[in-house]
Amino acid sequence: MSSEAITRPAESAARLKGDRLIDFGGLALTIVTLGFALMAIFPVYWAVVTSFKSETEVIASGIALWPSRINTEAYEHIWTNTNIGIWYINSFVTSTLITAGVIVSSAGCAYALSQLDFPGRRLIYVLILACFMVPMQALIINHFVLMAQFKLLNSWAGIILPQLIVPVTIIVYKQFFDNVPREFREAAQMDGAGHFKTLFRIYLPMNWGITSALAIITFIGAWNSFLWPFLAATGEATMTVPVGITQVKDAYGIVYARQMASAVMAGLPVAVLYLIFQRRVTQAIMLSAGVKG
Amino acid sequence: MNKTIKRLALVSTALMALTSVAAAQQTVVWWDFLAGGDGVRMKALIDAFNEEHAGEITIEGTTLEWGTPFYTKLQTSAAIGEGPDIATYHLSRMPLAVDSGTLAEISDEDMASVGLSDDSFTAAAAQAAKVDGTRYGVPFDQHGLILYYNKEMLGEAGMLDEGGMPKGLDGMENFEAALAQFTTDDGKYGLSMPTGDRYRAVYSFFGQQGGTMFDAEAGGFFPTDDDVNKLATATETMKRWVDNGWTPAQIESPAALAQFTSGQAAFFIMGNWEVPTFTDLAAKGELFEWGAVELPVLFDQPAAWSDSHAFVIPANGGKENDPEKRAAVMEVIAWMDKNSLDWAGAGHIPAYNEVRESEGFASMKPQSDYAGFADTAVFDPRTVLAGPAAPLGDAWSNFINPATTGELDPADAAMEMRDDLNSQL
Amino acid sequence: MIRDKRSEYLAALILVGPFVVIYGLLFVWPTIQMVMLSFTDAPLIGPGEWVGIENYVEILTHRLFRNATWNTAYFVLLTVVPNTLVSLAIAMAVNRLKGWQQGFVMACFFLPYILPVSVVYLTWNWIIDVQYGLVQYIVRPFNGGEPMSLTRTIPFFMPTVAVVTIWWTLGFNVLLFIAGLRNISPEIYEAASLDSAGRWRQFRKITWPLIWPVTALVLTIQLIAQLKIFDQVYLFSIGGRQDPTIVLVQYIYKLAFQQNKGGEGAAAATLLFAMIIILSVLQYQALRARGEK
Repeated sequence: MSSEAITRPAESAARLKGDRLIDFGGLALTIVTLGFALMAIFPVYWAVVTSFKSETEVIASGIALWPSRINTEAYEHIWTNTNIGIWYINSFVTSTLITAGVIVSSAGCAYALSQLDFPGRRLIYVLILACFMVPMQALIINHFVLMAQFKLLNSWAGIILPQLIVPVTIIVYKQFFDNVPREFREAAQMDGAGHFKTLFRIYLPMNWGITSALAIITFIGAWNSFLWPFLAATGEATMTVPVGITQVKDAYGIVYARQMASAVMAGLPVAVLYLIFQRRVTQAIMLSAGVKG
Repeated sequence: MNKTIKRLALVSTALMALTSVAAAQQTVVWWDFLAGGDGVRMKALIDAFNEEHAGEITIEGTTLEWGTPFYTKLQTSAAIGEGPDIATYHLSRMPLAVDSGTLAEISDEDMASVGLSDDSFTAAAAQAAKVDGTRYGVPFDQHGLILYYNKEMLGEAGMLDEGGMPKGLDGMENFEAALAQFTTDDGKYGLSMPTGDRYRAVYSFFGQQGGTMFDAEAGGFFPTDDDVNKLATATETMKRWVDNGWTPAQIESPAALAQFTSGQAAFFIMGNWEVPTFTDLAAKGELFEWGAVELPVLFDQPAAWSDSHAFVIPANGGKENDPEKRAAVMEVIAWMDKNSLDWAGAGHIPAYNEVRESEGFASMKPQSDYAGFADTAVFDPRTVLAGPAAPLGDAWSNFINPATTGELDPADAAMEMRDDLNSQL
Repeated sequence: MIRDKRSEYLAALILVGPFVVIYGLLFVWPTIQMVMLSFTDAPLIGPGEWVGIENYVEILTHRLFRNATWNTAYFVLLTVVPNTLVSLAIAMAVNRLKGWQQGFVMACFFLPYILPVSVVYLTWNWIIDVQYGLVQYIVRPFNGGEPMSLTRTIPFFMPTVAVVTIWWTLGFNVLLFIAGLRNISPEIYEAASLDSAGRWRQFRKITWPLIWPVTALVLTIQLIAQLKIFDQVYLFSIGGRQDPTIVLVQYIYKLAFQQNKGGEGAAAATLLFAMIIILSVLQYQALRARGEK
């Protein structure tokens, strides 16, 4: 989604109202919209602010929108008294490997489906489309049993494997590869390039934007996933951040600032990714939903 | 692909190995469900153990959410051989644990190797740690429901004897009069108690009427109509206190605790595990004079809900037995029991005879004031449905707790609870 | 030429291979296993005896299964349509803004969507906390001056989790609607404004019918997603009464992982699996029928 494009209807709407000098209705609507937007982001803001308060300030009556003194004690406590460091490593490693696995297997599969002719091509495509509808949540028992048979539960591999099925990335890739003019491939093959070279030197670089968008969204999805890592990580040493912060109890009871600090730490990587790559993230989401951005 | 998987598995094992301090010494992976004051004391015990055994044994502790999350994780991880080396467990849940194959046997030899035997504990506890004659746990404590009171408020009302102990609370009329007396229009209550824990009081009152909860021969749960009626009566008692405004209808643990510690309620009925919370507050000078005694006898005989913490060794299916690891785990268990005077600081009654009968425990206050509940305690019945995170625990919270707030009729709730449990036998 | 064909097959095999292996191992195989397991009395891990349709009979007469089905349906009811309508309203409001205003408002609404569910849970659990939560300022006047636990008071549980879910996921729907709104040509609005049609008439006559395909898409995605609900419901019910608010995936989890009844859990999973597939196919047919008209 480009920013010029998104303002287009807004401009035309403004043009429509050109006959009036000040559009009071529109102004009110803008203020209301901004108000709702602030309300929507407020819980996130509140969590962050709470995490920087001292415990006594947290439970003081009244609504303090800003800590009286920036206090990082909650973060220090979480960092030194929980295994969040290990959970971070687990989250980063599993999310990165899931992303790499999904992107590589999807791009390869999509290239074959889009550019190559081989028996069973249609069947595979139909199976991928059907896979869309499948509720992975229904398979938790048998994923658990299967991973137990492989002795992979409570390990990175066990957390990663069932999350490698992301049919939608194949479909998005295929659409993009379909649109690459045939001449490129023919020219490459004239030069004696094989299919792998064609894929990695031409198709992927030409669709670099979509690759990065899909990679970011896959990473965010993997980082955020809860149910499977929650089941597969049976011990504290293999938990991911989202699982660890809800499953492992601090021996010191409910301490709100610390809970918020752990929440902020869990959400920070994806929030930062989103804020840096806003356009890519929104583009990938729209493509995945089958809407042209 | 397969190679990648293997490599990944290797990397993750390597990482797990890194988290333990050194390879030469034994690392004992420990899971518990102890939060709050319990958690702080247990953490101190673990730290002390690790310090004393530096270079030999290190306990690596993880605290999971009490109840269902803990027991689910333990059961599934043991089934796939990924469970901890040692875990805390409720003796009431032993039959269910053994039924699902979660626990490993702890033999007489294991016990003897660290100087323990059945005779180290009360006969009841040693018995409860066994299922069909096989031992699956080592008792650690007994805990139960007790009555905390605000000495200042009771003193002003003339309800303390010369020794500073509450007087005249026994008998339904007397206790309810006291509850009514302390309830005021400006938001003070006679009694504070978390909604989710009310079933413990209901079961205590059921026991005070001499009810039978389970008898396999006589037809299962609440075998006679009389038993069902006693359950309904016990539930109605709690509901009456709610209806009369003597105790808040809906209240969570932290809020209920705060209500008592801020002087908004004269009594607090809860497990003895809150003792350290009050001890610590009092030590900081942030609490009034307080005390704790056995539950008052409101019906025919004294009785209080009770359970025991124990140590267990998960079966970890598919993993080979490592004698050195077993020795280290037994060392941990024995050390904990022998040092359980510190655990008594958390309000619990030590299961280990030597500690319970020691001078040190006898002089602990208020522990010695309520320790008598152990003799008249009502435990969960010995069935595979018993224990927390088990059908009996679910039934309490599905039928009885809601009946105390008026969501269900107490008589209906009692019947439904019986039918629900019997249908699962 | 033949050499060419053969190399094409080989390339296809290598490119499609990884995905097919993953797909077969982690989707087809577990699905077959799930159905097989559902006819046995096996525990979660370990073998069992063939018991025919006993598990299905057991489940279908189980009060908890009816509870779970009803709660899931109730949750769908509380989230799908409200979420769609709120998202459309927000999308229209965002769409008429421009420049930094649009970027800011969009980020406010979208940021929650990329957060892990654990963060959403911790944040809201703090906001609705019965003792110190901000929401209690609103709850108290309606509850005779007393605070109330919104997640422990059973009738309020589902609505509370539904509101949190809508807050969390609406960013996704807003994005799709904005894309849809941008595809409506401004000329149509210009023509309407010549007719001096009011805002409401404009919406009724132009926006609503033209945005309908996106609305249908959003409804479909929501419906399927909410049938698979687990994470939020599970997290908010920790430490409380779970049975009255149990949902279908949670029921599967309870049977298989808590009660160690692998066979019954698989039977429940098979039922959910079938339910979602049937609904997806019906949806697909209905949407296609609409599209052909």
